[in-house]
Amino acid sequence: MSGTFPGSRAVLAAAAIFLLLGGRVLAGEDARTLLSEAETRHRTRSQEYTGELTVVNKDGKVRKKNWRSFRQGYAGDAKSLVRFTDPPEVKGVGFLSLARPGKAADQWLYLPSMKRERRIASQDRDASFVGTDFNYEDMEEFDHKKFGVELKGEQLLDGRPCYLIEAIPVEDGGKSVYGKKILYLRKDILFLVREDLYRRGEKEAGKRLGLSDLRNVGGHWVAMRLEMTDLKKGSRTTVLLKEMVFDRPQPDDRFTLRNLNREGGE
Amino acid sequence: MTRRAAVASILLLLVPAPTLAQGFSGYGEVKGFAFTGRAVDSDPWVLGWSTLFVKGEKKVGDTQWTASGRAEEISSRERGPLVLDPADREPRRSPLSVRELWVRLPVASSVDLQLGRFELGWGKTDGYSPADAFLPRDLSDPFADEKLPLWATRLSGQKGPLRAEAVAGLITTPWRLPVLGGRYAPLKTESTNGRIEYADEENTPPRAGFGALRLLATIGDWDVGGWGRFGVRPAPLLIFRTDLATPVPSGLIVPVERRYAREQGIGVEVSRVTGSWVLRAEAAALFSEDPDLGNALIGTLSAERGFGDGTLLVTLAGNAKDTPVDPALLFDRALLPALIVAWNRTEEWGSWKVVWTEGLKYGDGLLKAEVGYNATDLWRITLGGELPYGSEKGSLGALHAARRVHLALRRSW
Repeated sequence: MSGTFPGSRAVLAAAAIFLLLGGRVLAGEDARTLLSEAETRHRTRSQEYTGELTVVNKDGKVRKKNWRSFRQGYAGDAKSLVRFTDPPEVKGVGFLSLARPGKAADQWLYLPSMKRERRIASQDRDASFVGTDFNYEDMEEFDHKKFGVELKGEQLLDGRPCYLIEAIPVEDGGKSVYGKKILYLRKDILFLVREDLYRRGEKEAGKRLGLSDLRNVGGHWVAMRLEMTDLKKGSRTTVLLKEMVFDRPQPDDRFTLRNLNREGGE
Repeated sequence: MTRRAAVASILLLLVPAPTLAQGFSGYGEVKGFAFTGRAVDSDPWVLGWSTLFVKGEKKVGDTQWTASGRAEEISSRERGPLVLDPADREPRRSPLSVRELWVRLPVASSVDLQLGRFELGWGKTDGYSPADAFLPRDLSDPFADEKLPLWATRLSGQKGPLRAEAVAGLITTPWRLPVLGGRYAPLKTESTNGRIEYADEENTPPRAGFGALRLLATIGDWDVGGWGRFGVRPAPLLIFRTDLATPVPSGLIVPVERRYAREQGIGVEVSRVTGSWVLRAEAAALFSEDPDLGNALIGTLSAERGFGDGTLLVTLAGNAKDTPVDPALLFDRALLPALIVAWNRTEEWGSWKVVWTEGLKYGDGLLKAEVGYNATDLWRITLGGELPYGSEKGSLGALHAARRVHLALRRSW
């Protein structure tokens, strides 16, 4: 240390800061690149499936629901329609979500008993979606462009190496009910297999979304089983995806408020 | 026939749900009411109400077919005789009725035509909406807020952010009123000549219905709309024929006739998502040359906000015009001006709600509360109560004899 010239500590510190910041910037680019690549790989023009939902509360009480789901576009340009088909108390309930660039998606819920739609305010997006452990924001397609992302490392999940990416919502991306998401992206196929969801102001993950039973359908990877666990309430909702179809042309008016309000309409 | 309906309902309840075709749904419900008071001696202290509702839906290509029917038994005078009443024009509820019978088919890209008997819901403001005032209601249970379906044609379409809907009501479905003089429609029942009883006269509502057009647009966080309508107003005007009153030992029997005025109306509505609130405003101008109805300028303001799984709704509604007769006799304007505050919440086990309606003219009001417990996906138990209070000059305070609790058991399939 005796041969060091004056100010060398400052230089070393500056270098360390540069490397740290530079590393963060690179890591940020890497995470973004990975998520962009994942989106490119898994983007489909449309998707349709029948969902079989099982809601299990903390006491083990089980509720079943079914829905039909339609999507056109992907992530930041996605339009989706969900129509419940069972049980009777929710049959006909419809949900329309239209992604908006840089903003929270426009969302409406149609209730057959009211014969009209109800708009979902952005602050309502943490409410339970029709008695499930999903909330309205969870029903929106994940769009990484609405988040600042950073690669935090790698981790094995079910024996598969995954990238661990921290996603923090950007302020002009539409206010998220979450302060942070930790994403698990499978390295080999760049497929999102888990999200740990942290509500604003909370240090522990409040919810966890697991995507499993991965299959290749028509050349597209898809998780045939989704499980949202509410870690605080101790409840979970499992969705089994059946009758999956990709890239089927969708009617022009499927993702409209008029169609949402059509009783019996899909 | 009632016994048959009861047997059919029991048999249907025993059928395992999966064996029913997917296009069929419905419910069976038994409901009991207990009251704290009576307006007249003929009002029962307790009342039973059982319902069997069956709905069938079928999609053939792009054409949607829907039919539903209801069988019910009511232990009070709200139950009418078993008659063919396909348009709900009889004063009392028939034990068997058609609730829906419609077909919807596409006639052009993004344009549908719906024909038959169906229910409309135009009003966006919960609690009170002038856009819904031209729709008929069944006040047999005035706290149930039950809309009646219409025989109508509806053309609806969307182009970009603009939605349009044109409706032609083919025949007038009138408001169904409670038994006059009973606890749900209390009228002054004492006079210098003794007790007054009211006798509903046979009446035939006009055949002609109404025409209405509605335009809606969604622009960013804003929803705007406008509507216009003309035709027969389905809420009747009551004519108390004291000149034809018949003396009886206990007092008088006064015949009550009904008249249906023509009315035109235009309205606008606007709503906006503002942070955590959805704010709405509606305004309607209603015109009638009938001297007992007159004109109205009705406005509503409402604010809605979600709190987790709960929703708070506050609505203020009023009529800027004085009514030529007691507004209680105009039904859809009886409540105004009013403040309505509602809280709904969904729980893991079911849901509950509390609704407080305050009449701002006489200081009367209504407090409603209901808790629904979902025993399973198919069985639901509901416990609730209605507490009208305040000045009997107000339309809600006048219902003091209708204070009640109710318990219902519903099995859906």
